[in-house]
Amino acid sequence: MTPKERVMNTLEKKEVDRVPVFSGMGNVTVAGMQKYGIDFASSHANAEQMATLACSTYELFGFECAVVPFDLCVEAEALGCEVNFYAGKQNILYPTIKSKILKVGEELQVPENLLERGRIPLVKEAISLCKEKLNGEVAVGSYILGPFTLAGQILDLNDLLKSSFKKPNDVKALLSQLVEPLVDIANAFHEAGADYITVREMGAPSDVISPRMFKMLVQPYLKETIAGIKAPTILHMCGDTNMLVEMLYECGANAISVEQKNDVAATRQKLGEEAVILGNLDAYGVIVKGTPEEVEQSVKQAIEAGVDGVMPGCDIWPEVPEDNMHALIKAVEKYGAKS
Amino acid sequence: MTEDKKQLLEEIRKAVIEFDEDRVKELANKWIELGYDANEAIFEGLAAGMEVVGDLFAKNEYFVPEVLMCADALYAGLDILRPHIKAEDKTETKGVVVIGTVEGDVHDIGKNLVKLMFEVAGFEVHDLGKDVPLEKFVEEQLKTDADLVCLSAMMTTTMPGMKKVIEMLRERNPNVKIMIGGAPVSEKTVEMYGADATGKDAASALEEAIKMVASLREMKRKKEI
Repeated sequence: MTPKERVMNTLEKKEVDRVPVFSGMGNVTVAGMQKYGIDFASSHANAEQMATLACSTYELFGFECAVVPFDLCVEAEALGCEVNFYAGKQNILYPTIKSKILKVGEELQVPENLLERGRIPLVKEAISLCKEKLNGEVAVGSYILGPFTLAGQILDLNDLLKSSFKKPNDVKALLSQLVEPLVDIANAFHEAGADYITVREMGAPSDVISPRMFKMLVQPYLKETIAGIKAPTILHMCGDTNMLVEMLYECGANAISVEQKNDVAATRQKLGEEAVILGNLDAYGVIVKGTPEEVEQSVKQAIEAGVDGVMPGCDIWPEVPEDNMHALIKAVEKYGAKS
Repeated sequence: MTEDKKQLLEEIRKAVIEFDEDRVKELANKWIELGYDANEAIFEGLAAGMEVVGDLFAKNEYFVPEVLMCADALYAGLDILRPHIKAEDKTETKGVVVIGTVEGDVHDIGKNLVKLMFEVAGFEVHDLGKDVPLEKFVEEQLKTDADLVCLSAMMTTTMPGMKKVIEMLRERNPNVKIMIGGAPVSEKTVEMYGADATGKDAASALEEAIKMVASLREMKRKKEI
């Protein structure tokens, strides 16, 4: 079975020879950057570099996907936000939004030519390049933010969170406006060649807002967004999701992806055998800071708890030790075989 | 303490907990009209209310939006009460603090709550905001001769920036105290990075900030005895 078949079959709940090890989020490594002499800050604005780095994690370690882009600013940028790429900085920094474009209660103006704005054409090109480089052997993924998380990018987060309580109708109006642009972007990425799309709604775990608010404000627009995406989808949420997994599952994605705070065995019990659950390795504490033995143990635990795919709970931090990446893949091969 | 005063303090606490900004303002004004000590209302009313908010947050009864609104209510009361702090209380300024979220990190909710705590306690606070270039912390410390520098990072990816700031600060000014905070920060980070302190529970900067309000109140109570 090719890595792509393994990943796609998992998302479609079909048979696989073993559990895949992949991600719905960024997974570039410093090892890849060094091999190709590419600087992280410049890769965000260069399709060829982006694709090269995304594919390098498969080439170097056998990680079973290539995912672009690497940052969380693409949609907000296309909607008009200015992005800081931290060019020339020595340390690796992820791009952030410099300027907010909206206040709660204001009307969002979605540009007519949204799909031609910002780096959307560049990400599409990078997806096509990944597709060419991997020759159908390895799955190509891309992602969009969930409506609530995107709202947190284009609005002041304090304003959004307080308004969620004080003026829920204004927030609902905004979130409902964000669905269509997000769906359009996701489908454009799919048409460019992305085999699967992850929807990252990391701004709404129960570390931040109550499950009640999640149900009222977040879930309806997540459902709508996912329903509009033509590719197989993964719904990812980091933070504490134990109280939310049923609601996440109801959103209708092919799979849900959770991080280490989720008790996967309990989630499996709640959702049943039909649910596709991905996760739940600690992307920093274990994959970057742990020993290869700890990585192996973590993989074993995740598989025993019942994940259908081994996935880091967040983007892989580029400074991941190479030995840990090798240990990750090896452990999945060792413990993930289906008899 | 008279019954009236006790009652009023209880109402201030309750209004903070219920994030009723208008009610807090009304009560703070009443407190001043009655000629009571502003500091007492700040510590036993506003900050005591925020302490309960911290418990509610820890118990998953309150979430971030609620805590933010409670903080707004607290600030509304603080704005009214602060000008009335007695001169002798003012002179005991606890110190000067420089605070900010390190470069690459645009999260400031936890940082703002820690800042609130320092303001309540009577520190002079210089807030550099979020996504602060690392050298800026050093410049500001030198400029203000701050006793304490507080660095915040909410992402594991921006945490290493704190280490660089600490190195730069120590080089220029070995005596300055450095506190670090944020969800990914632990006691181990403090040791690894050479900082002086963080909160006990690293899981949430929010909880810590509110807990620190409580511990400051405790310090103050002991001093009074």
